[in-house]
Amino acid sequence: MISMARSLAALAATAILTTLCAGAAVAAPDARALLKESESRHRTRTQQYAGDLTVVSKEGKVRKKGWRSYREGYAGDAKNLIRFTDPPEVKGVGFLSLSRPGAENPDQWLYLPSMKRERRIAPQDRDASFVGTDFNYEDMEEFDHEKYRVALQGEETVEGQACYVISAVPLDKGTGSVYQKLVLYLRKDILYLIREELYPKGEREPAKRLVLADLKNVEGHWVAARMEMSDLKKGSRTTVSLKQISFNRPHPPGRFTLQNLTREGGD
Amino acid sequence: MLRSLALISLLLFCPWQAAATDFSGYAEAKGFAYRERLAGAPYGTGWSTLFTKWEPALAQARLTASLRAEWITSDERGELRFDPADRRLRRSPVALPDLWVRLPLAPSHDLELGRFQLGWGKTDGYSPADAFLPRDLSDPFADQKLPLWGVRASGQEQAFRYQAVAVPVTTPWRLPPLGSRNAPISAGVLPKGTVLREREESPPLFGFAALRLLLTRGDWDLGAWARSGVRPAPLLEFTLDPALQGGPAPVVSVGRRHPREHAAGIEVSRVAGPYVIRGEAAALFSDDPGLGDAVIGTLSAERGFGDGTLLVTLAANAIDPPVDRTLLFDRGVLPALFAAWNRSEEWGAWKGVWITGLERGDGVLKGEVGYNITDTWKATLGGDLPYGTRKGALGALHDARRMQLALRRSW
Repeated sequence: MISMARSLAALAATAILTTLCAGAAVAAPDARALLKESESRHRTRTQQYAGDLTVVSKEGKVRKKGWRSYREGYAGDAKNLIRFTDPPEVKGVGFLSLSRPGAENPDQWLYLPSMKRERRIAPQDRDASFVGTDFNYEDMEEFDHEKYRVALQGEETVEGQACYVISAVPLDKGTGSVYQKLVLYLRKDILYLIREELYPKGEREPAKRLVLADLKNVEGHWVAARMEMSDLKKGSRTTVSLKQISFNRPHPPGRFTLQNLTREGGD
Repeated sequence: MLRSLALISLLLFCPWQAAATDFSGYAEAKGFAYRERLAGAPYGTGWSTLFTKWEPALAQARLTASLRAEWITSDERGELRFDPADRRLRRSPVALPDLWVRLPLAPSHDLELGRFQLGWGKTDGYSPADAFLPRDLSDPFADQKLPLWGVRASGQEQAFRYQAVAVPVTTPWRLPPLGSRNAPISAGVLPKGTVLREREESPPLFGFAALRLLLTRGDWDLGAWARSGVRPAPLLEFTLDPALQGGPAPVVSVGRRHPREHAAGIEVSRVAGPYVIRGEAAALFSDDPGLGDAVIGTLSAERGFGDGTLLVTLAANAIDPPVDRTLLFDRGVLPALFAAWNRSEEWGAWKGVWITGLERGDGVLKGEVGYNITDTWKATLGGDLPYGTRKGALGALHDARRMQLALRRSW
């Protein structure tokens, strides 16, 4: 019975992929279907990594930071915890983001060891730089295509890879977004996001560009070991190198709680 | 002076490297330039600090120990004595800010024992839930909290959190030398020219017990707390001892009293569009006629503007205290308005703070610019400008107007 169900599932998956990929020559694939399929392929229950972060200003001044990142769930049901390990100025700073069913934006808190208490971050603060990097608080959230009106703009070759180009406009009710549009470049062969251009509200040109590179297959999952966010206006860029990546390993109970966020020296 | 310069140089430029990531710390040299000279106090003073922290993980437990060594060129520096609970009048050159262990009782329940710092309350600038915690006012413009010896149980079940704290040893507020430019005694309380002699007394041994309950529900964070025990902020007792009167100016002996106080409060915060609104209300009770009761309320609004944050807090006490309020250190400035603007930049950060007493119109303007030379070196330039009537808690600091420059190396 089980093997029959697996065979049926495999047949169904093959049919879907055939429609999505081979059928592209006849009719353009649906952007929503592509994103759903991408999410389905790359969704993992958990993820954790150690990140080395380098911020390079327009003048070439280099700043380095280190963090550990933990995630449970994916996209709209994600929980994230980030704990800074370096430099000493930000060591111990913690960031907790919890998606809430029915809410436009996740609940977010920051723990500053100097204050010994957590602080909730308002949704509009999501435009603020995340601890001096080119990422803002919204960039730190998991992308959930359900909160966007998406459309396939075409196909392009990026870094030698054929990509679907998809525009994503925040839904009207999602007014919490600091962006008016995102343009996503999805690699056609593995449906993995390798570039994202971010258009702030009221602007025609992208203000930031995220490039995901050094793709590796870790424990059966594709992952970009290097992410670079460039601020096209300021001329600065932030590179995150991912190390010690692991997927689907259970987190200790209580990791994604305010109690844990306020634990000094904790993970 | 030469000794302190040598120490500052040693702390900043010694080739110190942390042996492991469990170690962190900093060496800092800080200089203050005052606008005027006061009663023999120089135009400038210097502080140098060496702080190191060790945070090893011991299986599921976590140990944290830190040590602070400092050299201060002014009278805020006390003698080198064993003072592990900061109970003496002046700062010891060597202190133990952290020495605690956290033991996990369950996945979301912990027990901490030792010497640690607490941070309670919701509102910034002034929080009645946090104001009772002991402060070190040796630098009257720095909000420096003192750690406590105690036991803390904390935990979370679903949306509920709790913290229960027992502090068996009182750590009192530390005041600057009374009568100095940093002393928070307003003009008019004592005759001009009065010489103050502070008595080194032992505060009551047992501290306090406190309980805090928190609930997070959607955009709301709610809390309630209660505490009972010895009040860490002192009541000053001035006595005119005839045996001390030999010169032209009166000599007043100053003692400190720490009455018992009981308090309960509520706290709330809510995300409202682009704002985070926070509020607290607290009722404080004491049988001591020199302290009396208080009903303190605070309301604050915070809004982010890109990389900048504006914060405004209004705080007031509904009951007039029975003595000059400037002598009640934890509520001396009330009613007051606190406004702060912080902004982070590519090169560092800067902030401006305005605190104004709403009854006497005195206040203080503060500004600070921090420049990150590298990831481990930081230079800070700032100034503190108290203004207004010297009868107010902030205006009384008029003679302490100053600029400061600090250089810090972290590891």
